Amino acid sequence: MYVYFRYKMSANKKNGVLSKWSLDGKPVKIDKWDGSAVKNALDDAAKKVLVDGYGYKENHVLMDIRLIICTVSCMFAITALIYDYLHPFPESRPILIVCVVSYFIMMAILTVYTTFKEKNIFLVAHKKDATGVDPDDVYTLASSLKRFDHMYSLTLTFTDGISNEMRHTTMKKSVATWVDENGSILFDLYEPDIRNLHDSITSEKKEK
Amino acid sequence: MHAEADAKKGSIMGLLSLDFLNDVRRMNKRQLYYQVLNFGMIVSSALMIWKGLMVVTGSESPIVVVLSGSMEPAFFRGDLLFLTNYQEEPVRVGEIVVFKIEGREIPIVHRVIKLHQKETGEIKFLTKGDNNSVDDRGLYAPGQLWLQRKDVVGRARGFVPYVGMVTILMNDYPKFKYLILACLGLFVLIHRE
Repeated sequence: MYVYFRYKMSANKKNGVLSKWSLDGKPVKIDKWDGSAVKNALDDAAKKVLVDGYGYKENHVLMDIRLIICTVSCMFAITALIYDYLHPFPESRPILIVCVVSYFIMMAILTVYTTFKEKNIFLVAHKKDATGVDPDDVYTLASSLKRFDHMYSLTLTFTDGISNEMRHTTMKKSVATWVDENGSILFDLYEPDIRNLHDSITSEKKEK
Repeated sequence: MHAEADAKKGSIMGLLSLDFLNDVRRMNKRQLYYQVLNFGMIVSSALMIWKGLMVVTGSESPIVVVLSGSMEPAFFRGDLLFLTNYQEEPVRVGEIVVFKIEGREIPIVHRVIKLHQKETGEIKFLTKGDNNSVDDRGLYAPGQLWLQRKDVVGRARGFVPYVGMVTILMNDYPKFKYLILACLGLFVLIHRE
């Protein structure tokens, strides 16, 4: 399923970014009352503008670390399950203790990681230095949409590769700006907003 | 060639108009993997809490549901029992124990009525349900007259009434149970948080 989707995406890449972001030629349609679906769709679209529109390279490290933490936790659970099956309870006790304690430690690590490191960041993108000598400029996108709220806030952070200087800019608008009555995402309205956000942070750089 | 086949698959999906899957279909491979992991973590958490309870209580089944009325009026059908099985605590007459019998899948909750102990600490005991008119020898494996320490799954330490009715219903209607589990699983898999 997803292979097909990727194939389709790469075919669309040449003709613009969000204008043709769709499945089977249908526009992206979501359940507009489902806050997380709205947020995910807007997040994904903003990601596409930066990655496909501006050609920045996505850095997956942030997400990969979370995937690793989750995978390791699941491994502990699977180990406990299999070992307890092969060597029934009183015998498996020491291994169970190790697995249970490790699992809950991993859960604590995951919580700390998502709250303090990942925050709401869903994209880290590198802008390669033209000469290839200086370090990359880094753009990060973080968003939040509170439960039962319609105000979507999107924060773009720019870190200059050379000076390591950081700049933020935040856009806070109602999701109704970009989602119509049927739950279709209006990309022709959303994309300019993202581009404005991006350009405002970049022009700030030029002024200096 | 591959792309063509995939495209065909895609249009078939479109024909079936599985629109509720669109959120999933828009995911990239990391998001898909995370979705599966997320499901795995829910199952794992439940499993690890259970295993953790096993370690803490020393019982291989720290929570059981009373399935019969043989211990009325102490326990009724549907009561949830918490068990501990600390090896250093001796079993005594009058205590309510949960024990396993060879050849029977479901453990039994009954009261100890007779107990013999050797000087080495080895014990053998007889049980009976409060609401039964005879002792449990008829329930034991053929030829077995006494229970031993190794047969004990745990001793009742506390109970919550009625909660176990859900389990009893699920056991009585297995299809209902699988239906609910399948629905919940599917929801977690296709719903992105």
